[in-house]
Amino acid sequence: MDITRRKALQKLSTGTASAAAVGLTTIALPGEAHASDEVKVAPKNAVSMLYDTTRCVGCKSCVAACAEANQLKPDTSLSGGLHQAPPDLNAFTKNIIKLYKPAATNSAYSYVKQQCMHCVDPTCVAGCSFFALTKNQDTGIVSWNGSKCMGCRYCEISCPFHVPKFEWMGMNPKVVKCEFCQERLAAGKQPACTNVCPTHAVIFGTREQLLAEAKKRVAEHPGKYYQDRVYGDSDAGGTQVLYLSHVPFEKIGLPEMGNESVPSKYMKWQRKLYSYLVVPTVLYVTMVGVIRGNWKEHKHHMEEEQKKTGLRPQL
Amino acid sequence: MIDRWERAVPVFNVPIWTKPFKALLGLGTVAVIITLYREVAGLGPVSGMNDAYAWGIWKTFNVMTLTGLGSGAFAIGISAWLFKKSKLHSVMRIALLTSFLAYLSGLILIGIDVGRPWNIIWLFTPWNWNPHSPLLEVMFCMPAYAMLPLFLENVPPVLEYFHRYKPETRQFVEKCERIMVKFYPFIVALAYILPAMHQSSLGALMLLGGDRVHGLWQSPFLPLLYVWAAAFLGVCCVAGTLLFCSLMWKRPYDMDVLVELNRLGAWLIGTWSLFRLLDLIISGRIKLAFALDIYAGLFWMEMAFLLVALYMLIDSAKMRDARLMFHAHVLVGVGGLLYRFNPTTLAFQAKPGAFYFPSALELLISLGFVALAIAGFSLAVKLLAILPAPNALWFQMEAREESMNKLHQRGVPVNDAAPSFTD
Repeated sequence: MDITRRKALQKLSTGTASAAAVGLTTIALPGEAHASDEVKVAPKNAVSMLYDTTRCVGCKSCVAACAEANQLKPDTSLSGGLHQAPPDLNAFTKNIIKLYKPAATNSAYSYVKQQCMHCVDPTCVAGCSFFALTKNQDTGIVSWNGSKCMGCRYCEISCPFHVPKFEWMGMNPKVVKCEFCQERLAAGKQPACTNVCPTHAVIFGTREQLLAEAKKRVAEHPGKYYQDRVYGDSDAGGTQVLYLSHVPFEKIGLPEMGNESVPSKYMKWQRKLYSYLVVPTVLYVTMVGVIRGNWKEHKHHMEEEQKKTGLRPQL
Repeated sequence: MIDRWERAVPVFNVPIWTKPFKALLGLGTVAVIITLYREVAGLGPVSGMNDAYAWGIWKTFNVMTLTGLGSGAFAIGISAWLFKKSKLHSVMRIALLTSFLAYLSGLILIGIDVGRPWNIIWLFTPWNWNPHSPLLEVMFCMPAYAMLPLFLENVPPVLEYFHRYKPETRQFVEKCERIMVKFYPFIVALAYILPAMHQSSLGALMLLGGDRVHGLWQSPFLPLLYVWAAAFLGVCCVAGTLLFCSLMWKRPYDMDVLVELNRLGAWLIGTWSLFRLLDLIISGRIKLAFALDIYAGLFWMEMAFLLVALYMLIDSAKMRDARLMFHAHVLVGVGGLLYRFNPTTLAFQAKPGAFYFPSALELLISLGFVALAIAGFSLAVKLLAILPAPNALWFQMEAREESMNKLHQRGVPVNDAAPSFTD
């Protein structure tokens, strides 16, 4: 039901309204926009993580290991300066363990690990003006390049998982988020978090391997996992960090977003409208034509006025 | 007898260096000083922005909302040049000036808001562009619009000033004007395509906000509604400014042109509201408007402001009542600005428990650069021929200058005939 509604909207939007957006309602675009739209798929060797809430004991060794591997200053804000205890992902924290505990005491609680999801079709990359955020074609890792970033923080606005964080202090602020321990991977090592996890609640592999592993776990224990499915398989167009959970996904910060990525869901006709600047160019040329016609009349009118009043014409 | 707006005439009989003008400059200076501090200390110490509300009022209000008020040149220009509403040519100069200043102050705020401004340099290297980013579109088109067509269209009044008061430049000025006239249609058309693109892209920015933007605002038509709202905001901003100036400096107003502006505004608001409601109804999101929450409240507030304003626009045009017109323009401003502001902040669902309120320093910067724009406006209309008036006023101004010159020749201490800074 939800999907049909969305489809209907898209059909509508690719038609007349897209042209109307540029101020004129006269030129309509062809309506078969989504037929040619490519759906992004994960690279073949996409690196991946699988996190299983039923195995996590909340020891936070991954949090410490992440900070150490990425040379992040410890965030001690919740512990009064005593030890690392970040309240949330922030400029010092790329990875965090949180506890979901419902008010009713007898219902299930759960830990949850949060870091960048390395989406298959990342919203942050789609919005980034100069590709300061890029998705590696080979590994699928979404990483940040400070020499391109102008610090606009559009990534923070658009990320559906609230992941990228900004350094709010100082004159050379950076965008901070998990970059999948790229240096460690290059050196043939695992990411720090999966490397250190004592219960293998979070494991490392290729996306293909881990999807198979997750589906196997679901198949072996029907009813154990929420909705008997893997979050990230197709959610939001697919993510490279996969989740198995025994509590509802939305309770642990994984919103139900359908199978379309945010860019493909919302940006379709925006992209069509600007492809090769055809529509703007046609509109511009048309307007120049019309204005040149009216301009002659306007000039004539100005000359008449000048004759009548003797005043210099005003453009 | 009805007054006609026949040509632009400077506000010649009032001093420039007034108390409100000084106050505006003062606010601007304060803003500049805080800006220097912000560049060193970072965004955190001067603003209330945080990781949940990563965009504060500098972007969401000064840029994404207020440039709507600066779209007068866009909307009125289209209707004058493309749809041959020739009456509206008389108000083009004030539309162009208000638009230019609104954009200029918005652009400064973008520069202050971005954390790593030195990387804006990549705008000049198209091979580094992400062509699908709505933000890139805004970052490119906005300055391009303000610095090319909008700037050039504001040049003629300046040339005129030199022609009148600096006879030695006349030859050069006339040459410039000839070139200008040659390219004018091309410049003018650029002045419509660029804002159409970036004003809609300002809406498109929030498309990538996805489900974080509340369903009453998030829509595939958000870009269209944004540029449309900019159009009626711009029209009513120009009309309201005209009435305000007429009142303040006791200049005659041309009711026919004002009625025409009202009609244009009313038509834009009417179609906009209809389209917005149809979009909500067809997609079924209208049911969100009947939830008892703050978002539904905001939605009905917008709708109430704009529909009442619509009624008043039509009514005041019928009664040719300037006071009622002005009230309508203010209401359009409130409703329209609210619509443009809501999806970015009030109806933007950050993390639960997140909070944002602009800090005092943040507000001062935001306000300071708006104040500078207003100061720029009051300076420009006094020095240059911007505000429309009957030809009679022009002759009055010339007569005044002549008599001043005579007094001057006789050695009587008077101010220069040219507009001066003193009383």
